Amino acid sequence: MNLAELVAKHRIVISAGSGGVGKTTVAASVALWGAIQGRRTVVITIDPARRLASSMGLDALGSEVSEIPASLLAGQGIEARGTLAALMLDQKGAWDALVERHAPADARERILKNRFYQHLSQAFAGSHEYMAIEQLCLLAESGEWDLIVVDTPPTRHALDFLEAPRRLDDFLDRSVIRWFVKPYFSAGWAALQAVNRTASFILRRLEQATGVGALAEISDFFSSMSGLFENFHTRVARAYEVLRGPETAFVLVTSPEEQVLGDAEYLCSKMEELAMPLKGVVFNRVHREMARKTRRGSVHEVDAGDFVQIAGAIGRALTGEPRVARELAQNFLDYEVLARGEQLRMEQFQVGLTDEVPVVRVPNFPRDVHDLQALARMHAHLFAAA
Amino acid sequence: MIQRKLHFVLGKGGVGKTTMAAAMATLFARRGRRTLAIEMDAAGRLPGMLGSSGAAPTPKAVGPNLSVLSLDGRTALEEYLGLVIPVKRVLTTIFSSRVYQYFVAAAPGLKELMTVGKIWYEATREEDGRPRWDAIVVDAPATGHGLQYLSMPQVAHDTFGAGLVQREAGRVAALLRDPAVTAVHLVTLGEDMPVTETLETHAKLTGELKLPAGRVIVNRVHARRFAPELVARVRESAASAPGKQGELLEAVADRATEESGWAEINAEQLERLRNALTTDALVEVPFLYAEEFGSHELDQIARTLEPTLEVRTSGTGRRVRRGATE
Repeated sequence: MNLAELVAKHRIVISAGSGGVGKTTVAASVALWGAIQGRRTVVITIDPARRLASSMGLDALGSEVSEIPASLLAGQGIEARGTLAALMLDQKGAWDALVERHAPADARERILKNRFYQHLSQAFAGSHEYMAIEQLCLLAESGEWDLIVVDTPPTRHALDFLEAPRRLDDFLDRSVIRWFVKPYFSAGWAALQAVNRTASFILRRLEQATGVGALAEISDFFSSMSGLFENFHTRVARAYEVLRGPETAFVLVTSPEEQVLGDAEYLCSKMEELAMPLKGVVFNRVHREMARKTRRGSVHEVDAGDFVQIAGAIGRALTGEPRVARELAQNFLDYEVLARGEQLRMEQFQVGLTDEVPVVRVPNFPRDVHDLQALARMHAHLFAAA
Repeated sequence: MIQRKLHFVLGKGGVGKTTMAAAMATLFARRGRRTLAIEMDAAGRLPGMLGSSGAAPTPKAVGPNLSVLSLDGRTALEEYLGLVIPVKRVLTTIFSSRVYQYFVAAAPGLKELMTVGKIWYEATREEDGRPRWDAIVVDAPATGHGLQYLSMPQVAHDTFGAGLVQREAGRVAALLRDPAVTAVHLVTLGEDMPVTETLETHAKLTGELKLPAGRVIVNRVHARRFAPELVARVRESAASAPGKQGELLEAVADRATEESGWAEINAEQLERLRNALTTDALVEVPFLYAEEFGSHELDQIARTLEPTLEVRTSGTGRRVRRGATE
């Protein structure tokens, strides 16, 4: 199978991997491909940096789906039979939207003003990721899209992304919430003292130590939001169904650098554990080794020992420029060294993959990929016939 | 700059943030300063890069003048509570209680706050009447998250009610803002999006967060530029040369084009940084053409950083690249 077939066969494509490897770009390029192929496509990014917006030629994205006008695509010489839209999640906005969607009308204002809520929505690790999954589910269920491409946050956060629903579910474990919602919390310490000496002691110590004199507020938060958390468990289960479903394909995007590949290995093993296996691999920013391009069986690795010979050959082509000839030879050899290291690491990485997983290599373009045309140029490498 | 005590290294993922932190720590240690390298991620790569195997939950010596420490928010919080509640039995009760388990989860930002608090503790710790460390280098989490950490003391100070946390948060925030003590370095690449992000981060850092900015380190800078007409001549000869020779010349031309292309992009982006960041010294770290990244490469980077950290804060964009005279 090649990547084109993989994308064609799935409705949801999730690009995962470390930061700085072009994950956002690959996600955007895949989405553009989908639109060109005639699918109604939307790309979601939850990376807090507003990188996708610039890749898509948009100045800013909000937490609403925004269509990229056909005229903009046509203006760049891209003919799309389908449509392309993008959604960049604003973490705070997503929480607010969730509250507005699920909380009872009379509690909304109270929740949004709650200091604890404001804290939670801004800083609670994983909440951000959860919101993205929630959005993904909404889009998947809307039936309006033929292809949904998701750009995940960098590796370690990518794991947060995948585990967020479960963790949030644990956190919101109903028995615990009930604990917080108990009236003595709102009533304050005096009431609590009467109920349970130990609990009171611990809580007071914690409050003194941390200064979070906000237990009543926390309690109020959970009371106000109890409606919101009612069907939370069901929604989390649904989210995992979508992530693990046959319609979903996780594609790893990585560069062949050693540290990045190390992170990628870790991510892969974690994803296996979560029963969300990889279905494709994109090696991005690859340097090709020249010797490997020669006929099979005659693989000759060029090394520093060949310097004089290579510089001589270039010198004959550039008579009168011996210094440049030597610099060109050195530059060539330097890139061979780089390419060899990458080649070895990619081969090693591929050993662990099954044959059904398509692997593509996108060369290290000497240009920034940040406009639609550049995204389209990637297609030749991403979707070349295997 | 090199005399400051607390160095935070920030940058988005994949730009070589950990590498820069390791190089900086190596450099300080070599200069005879008792140095602690801290990673804010219990499973990071910093200890490995400095030659230690596995995470270091307490400061662990990895070489002359050099120790490494892996911080984890939860442990930091427990340690902190250990300091303010010195009765072990009570502590054990607290840690094992469900209330605590959920209290930690329910107080977002607390872990971040405690992590930064732990750094503060190490920065101010004394032993035998003198500071335990001369220099601390922190490999912070990727940009967005890293900023969240650095702003947490101030946020906590403003949000939490009067109490120990508020007092301590105020103290930590003051230390982080002291330009005689702290420097926040940004690592980036000479490409469009990383530079855009760096400029945004820098503005936020010096504006809203009022933190002392250190150097902006541009990693993996390509600097060779080959005249297009010469490359074209090589390509022409490639077309007429026989078999292998032609292939070789073709590849030589390809590599030259690739290198020149990157050099051009890098130069353009460096110019953007230079124009936007008037008071900050820009540091360029050359691209390393290595098969594998090892201690030799780390050393090379440390040597590149050394002169640039000596420069006074007010200096403008000191160039590292040899012979660069743009």
